[in-house]
Amino acid sequence: EINLMEELTLKGVTQYYAFVDEKTKVQCLYTLFKKLNINQAIIFCRSVNRVELLAKKITELGSSCFYIHARMAQNHRNRVFHDFRSNGCRNLVCTDLFTRGIDIPTVNVVVNFDFPKSSETYLHRIGRSGRFGHLGLAINLITKGDRFNMYKVEQELGTEILPIPSTIDPKLY
Amino acid sequence: GREHEAMEIPTVLADKIHFIVNNVTKETLRDKAKELKKYVKPEFFPFLCKYIVVKRASVEPNNHELYGNLIDLMGISKLKKELTETTYYYIKILLKSATDDGSRSEKDDRRLLRNLGSWLGCITLAKNKPLRANMLDLSDLITDAYEHHRLIVVIPFVANVMKACKDSRVFKPPNPWLMSMVSLLREVLDIPQLKLTLKFSIEVLFNDLGINIKETSASNLLQGRSRNRNTDTEQQQTRLPPPTDGKEAPPPQ
Repeated sequence: EINLMEELTLKGVTQYYAFVDEKTKVQCLYTLFKKLNINQAIIFCRSVNRVELLAKKITELGSSCFYIHARMAQNHRNRVFHDFRSNGCRNLVCTDLFTRGIDIPTVNVVVNFDFPKSSETYLHRIGRSGRFGHLGLAINLITKGDRFNMYKVEQELGTEILPIPSTIDPKLY
Repeated sequence: GREHEAMEIPTVLADKIHFIVNNVTKETLRDKAKELKKYVKPEFFPFLCKYIVVKRASVEPNNHELYGNLIDLMGISKLKKELTETTYYYIKILLKSATDDGSRSEKDDRRLLRNLGSWLGCITLAKNKPLRANMLDLSDLITDAYEHHRLIVVIPFVANVMKACKDSRVFKPPNPWLMSMVSLLREVLDIPQLKLTLKFSIEVLFNDLGINIKETSASNLLQGRSRNRNTDTEQQQTRLPPPTDGKEAPPPQ
């Protein structure tokens, strides 16, 4: 197999973390919807159940969202992804389905609602298979239990994830 | 002027506006427009317009139609007017600041300008509303850019504005304004060794508008105008004499 990790880059992606409790994650996401300028966003969860639950929650908040996960039929998944790609909706909640990084230029924000276990997964979620100069913002919701994982990911990818500032310069994404 | 009008607004209101704009889609346009109308009182129109133009339309070309319709569906003519004026205002700023010195910020400015071009077309021409010549005269813009060697800034912008004509019932052949613009662009195409990117942007526009280049005739608005410097044409260009006095072209008015 080809090593896909080498094709992905974190260049141009500004990475932040917000330290939260499990209970306040949705609230935190809601705050992001109110503070950022999001063209399109992808939100990653760790399990199929959590994807469905979160999609329901954020739809109730009045947000526009689709979801896809591994337990959906492939043709259904393709359909949802295609609709998202053609701007049919603004947010996509999903499990780890993207094995080559996200190649949608209009996605300017990626949220790790659940922080991934491995740096490879992190890179696939956040990294751009991208053209140079393509900016993006990655927000990681970090619970107490995630902090060692985050440290590990930072080390292994030689990158830095900063605490989220109260305002984010729109020039960064 | 306009900078001061966009007054500070309460954080709670700004949050609501951000949330709505972040989440509006084709399906929810009507509801979101209603919601926005409820929250945004006239004193905050300048803020809303500045936000849509500067933070959104300039960087999100994929959402132009969405945002244009959002404001439209609020059904407030004063707001629509404010939106168009805000758009002209920031286009003017970018037309002044965008240069061709090859720097990073220069490329950004040109990208923003191209996006605001599509945006302007989307909220005017595509909706059968003419451009306001006293705010922005595309023809003057091109002749001026020709003289000052700024076609590289202006042509892609103009092409993006005019692309909206394909969605218009009024601005399609044989509309006189459109045809005069087509002739002028045709004359630009005939500039010896015109930069390829400019050539392409004009050809793509003609194609989008269903205009056959062979059936167009060039205007003579550029003939006889003087040019000092050479940046809109390819490097190997030798036909025009090099600048003799080394002076920069005067800045456009």
